[in-house]
Amino acid sequence: MESFLLADAESVVARARQGEEAALEALYRAFEGPVYNLARRICRTKEDAEDVLQETFFEVCRSIGRYREEGSLWGWIRTIAASKALMRLRRNKYRDTDELHDELVGHLKEETHLRMDLEAALERLSEVSRAVVWLHDVEGYTHDEIAGMMGKTASFSKSQLARAHARLRRWLGEEVAA
Amino acid sequence: MIHLSMETLVGLREAGMEPGAAAAREHLDACALCRAELERLHQRVARLKALPPLRPARDRWPAVRDRVRAERRRQRARFAGLSGLAAAASVALALAVSTLRQPEAGLTPAKIEQTMARSQVLESAIDRIDPESRVLDGRTAGIAQELEDRIARVDRELEMVELTEPQSRDSDLLRLWRERVGLLDALVDVHATRASYVGL
Ligand SMILES: [Zn+2]
Repeated sequence: MESFLLADAESVVARARQGEEAALEALYRAFEGPVYNLARRICRTKEDAEDVLQETFFEVCRSIGRYREEGSLWGWIRTIAASKALMRLRRNKYRDTDELHDELVGHLKEETHLRMDLEAALERLSEVSRAVVWLHDVEGYTHDEIAGMMGKTASFSKSQLARAHARLRRWLGEEVAA
Repeated sequence: MIHLSMETLVGLREAGMEPGAAAAREHLDACALCRAELERLHQRVARLKALPPLRPARDRWPAVRDRVRAERRRQRARFAGLSGLAAAASVALALAVSTLRQPEAGLTPAKIEQTMARSQVLESAIDRIDPESRVLDGRTAGIAQELEDRIARVDRELEMVELTEPQSRDSDLLRLWRERVGLLDALVDVHATRASYVGL
């Protein structure tokens, strides 16, 4: 990914390690989009996602000297971003269950045969479920990695993923579509 | 017939090491309903991956940069403070030794300490200017950034030199501290020039 986002990543990283501001900014410009997107998918509000963006790059600037080139640069930055986003969820006292959503949506659906689009359905998942779906299905993290970042077990991550898919399926009205 | 649960379907996408995966696959071969369900799951994931990327509404780089700069200055102040103590100790030692036998040996450490003291004066002058709260024009900001970068490089070299043998490092230390003072001087000038524009 970084070869696409950041031409000459090697020399930019080398200069960033020397503390060169222009190189640090080049890193920011190259990865602000994907970092924000990841944060926005996990956090509840745009403001939270922007704060995560800022915290992520502050951390990147501080610890670029500790980045080892055997891993991908985007992989390294992404994990910082995911950890910051999950930390923010914890701090905001997220709901662990989405029963509330079930009730609400079940009720709406009976009355209006509501069929949500994917964005809306994703939005309605609990923060934790949404984070697990996004990290696993889109970003490609394993259940073990997600568990590590969340301070939970792999089986917690697995069951959150299954519950999230069961809900998405229902809310998207896929039983009619197929 | 008992169909596959969502948990089983979701698990089937993994490497296939899940307990019961073989039985689940057998069921899948025989059951069109569950095959359709797995297909829906694949499609859902494909649609998730295809969602348009969201972009931040605001540029957060200036905030990141200001925090980085502020932290750098704090580290520099701490670093200069510690080095100052070490230098003071080595000057005391050098003077004690020089009174005994080598009158000229104390000269370099004394010069280093003078240069460090000058560096600290300039550092606190910059703190008083509070560069983060000011908006510089593009050219001035470019010069200030270049100077900050060069100071950061000198600091890295200083850290390296601090780790070398005490006998051989004094001339390097003096050279680097002098370079640092020169850069700080220039940085104060840049900000002071800007400040006088504001005053006009
Ligand atoms: Zn079946």
